[in-house]
Amino acid sequence: MSSSMQFYISNLLVYLAVDVMACLGLNLQFGVAGLINLAFIVFQAAGAYTAAVLTLGPSSSMGGFQSYVLGAHLPFPLPLLAAAVVGGALSYIVGLVALRRLRTDYQAMVMLVISLIATTVVTNATGLFNGSNGLALIPRPLQSVLGLSPVGYQWFYVALSFACTMIVWVVVRRITGSPLGRTLRAVRDNDAAAMSLGKNVTQMRLTAFVTGGAIAGFSGAILAQYISAWSPGSWLFPESFVYFSAVIVGGAGNNMGAVVGAALVPVAFLEATRYIPQFGYPGLVDALQWVVVGLLTLAVMWFRPRGVFPERTRRFARTPGSEPRP
Amino acid sequence: MNIYVLSLGFGLITASILAIASVGFTLQFGVTNILNLAYGDVMTGCAFVAYLVTRAGGSLPEALIAGAGTGALASYGLNRFVYTPFVRRGTRMFGMIIVTISVSLALQNGLQAIFKATFFSLALPRPSSYTFAGMIFTSQQLVIMGLAVAAMLLVHSLLSWTKLGRAMRATAADPELARSCGIATDRVIDLAWLLSGALCGTAGVALALNVTSFTSTAGGQFLIPIIAAAVLGGVGQPYGAMIGAVVIGLSAELSAAVISPSYKEVVAFLILIVVLLIRPQGIFAEVATQKEVVA
Repeated sequence: MSSSMQFYISNLLVYLAVDVMACLGLNLQFGVAGLINLAFIVFQAAGAYTAAVLTLGPSSSMGGFQSYVLGAHLPFPLPLLAAAVVGGALSYIVGLVALRRLRTDYQAMVMLVISLIATTVVTNATGLFNGSNGLALIPRPLQSVLGLSPVGYQWFYVALSFACTMIVWVVVRRITGSPLGRTLRAVRDNDAAAMSLGKNVTQMRLTAFVTGGAIAGFSGAILAQYISAWSPGSWLFPESFVYFSAVIVGGAGNNMGAVVGAALVPVAFLEATRYIPQFGYPGLVDALQWVVVGLLTLAVMWFRPRGVFPERTRRFARTPGSEPRP
Repeated sequence: MNIYVLSLGFGLITASILAIASVGFTLQFGVTNILNLAYGDVMTGCAFVAYLVTRAGGSLPEALIAGAGTGALASYGLNRFVYTPFVRRGTRMFGMIIVTISVSLALQNGLQAIFKATFFSLALPRPSSYTFAGMIFTSQQLVIMGLAVAAMLLVHSLLSWTKLGRAMRATAADPELARSCGIATDRVIDLAWLLSGALCGTAGVALALNVTSFTSTAGGQFLIPIIAAAVLGGVGQPYGAMIGAVVIGLSAELSAAVISPSYKEVVAFLILIVVLLIRPQGIFAEVATQKEVVA
């Protein structure tokens, strides 16, 4: 295989891994717990920025051409873990105020607004993460230690991101398959009934929200360290919608669906088509891509509202003795 | 004179555009309970229609009529042929949010694909400007304020004194009861979307008129202040939306003068979040209703 082909495929695989992680996190929030987190991308961005500033070193180290807070040189797994912690902590703060006693549509509005506020603040407060130019030259994990060829490092990164995806998969499966997952679905389907059974609805929602946020931050760290640059242009509000679209297409509430959705919408539709020849004026293909994502979501909502892989309907076997007597 | 008086003038204009837009938005939400996140993009579409009319040599009144007409038809069509079928098919509030965002995204980028991502301005003769007590207004901005006052009076008279207005309020309060009282709620909902769409279109043209140039994202960006104004006054309450528009419009422009112009949206956003947290039913509504979407 030619090395450019290897670059192409390994690149798509890394994006696939990042998008699968993000979709698993969003599926936990949206599909399982029923939270419309239109600010999902903000938590991914928070993780990306965290990983970036914790690997770039002090702000003054590279001639001070970019300014940011908290510069440090942490060794490999620590920036990723810190990103997950920051994603979760930020979710906790946002969740504490946004998830209390608000109707679903009001929650969605608050999240939408938080997404826009975050973009405005990070763009204008240039001392925070270098404003609209964003951060560049983010070191790639272990690149200097391993001493691999560029293609070899690409495949190392594929392996790393797939390993991380497996970890996220296991964590999410443990939650959705446990009594906690069952309670979350109960809260989603009928919060009044769940409350009457003594479940702390807000607490349950917050758990799903924070776990999803931590996964978002983790995926952001993997992504930012891979492309080694991160700016507000990478996490505008419509990017959250791509993940929503993926989860809906795949099947909200089903982890397998989230994986398939990530492969179909962000990877197949947005990443892979970047390599098709551009036609028309610059920007036309991008605009049309968004039109297609919007229409695709509408079509799925219409024809297959439960997605390609619908959430499994859980049935309980009749206990012996409860059969009606003949 | 001084910058605060000047910003007060800007605030009044922003408040006028917001008032037209948020009353339309709140009518849609009040009658059908659908949070139409594509509202801002319909506004943009109407601004582009007005742009085409002025490019073809049309005057400002012609552009306004074309914009309002487009808004009315587009909103009516959107509700009748997209939203209502989804609601009838069993999509609930949860899913309708996703549906309206999908429409918004497709509409906004469709406009961008047609018109390209560049800057546009209405091809109208240069307006003359007037000074009142330290505030400077162009003749076009005076038209915007006149339009806002006229629209508010029109909505007020419609809602309080006509049979249709009463039917609309009845449908908003309890659609099933309204139906069983012999109100043709389908027709009332259609008329409500036509009316709110006309307001939406007017606001879109006013928005394009007020800025030196606009792009295909102009209306989408304006959506958050619209929602903020509508929520501040209590969603579904036209009078609340009017007051909300004044509060949001003035505070945004004054904070631009006091803090920094780049944070003027943030102030509107923060007002929205604080209102949602402290009094989600809005300042003027008595009860926060737990209604579902209505077809």
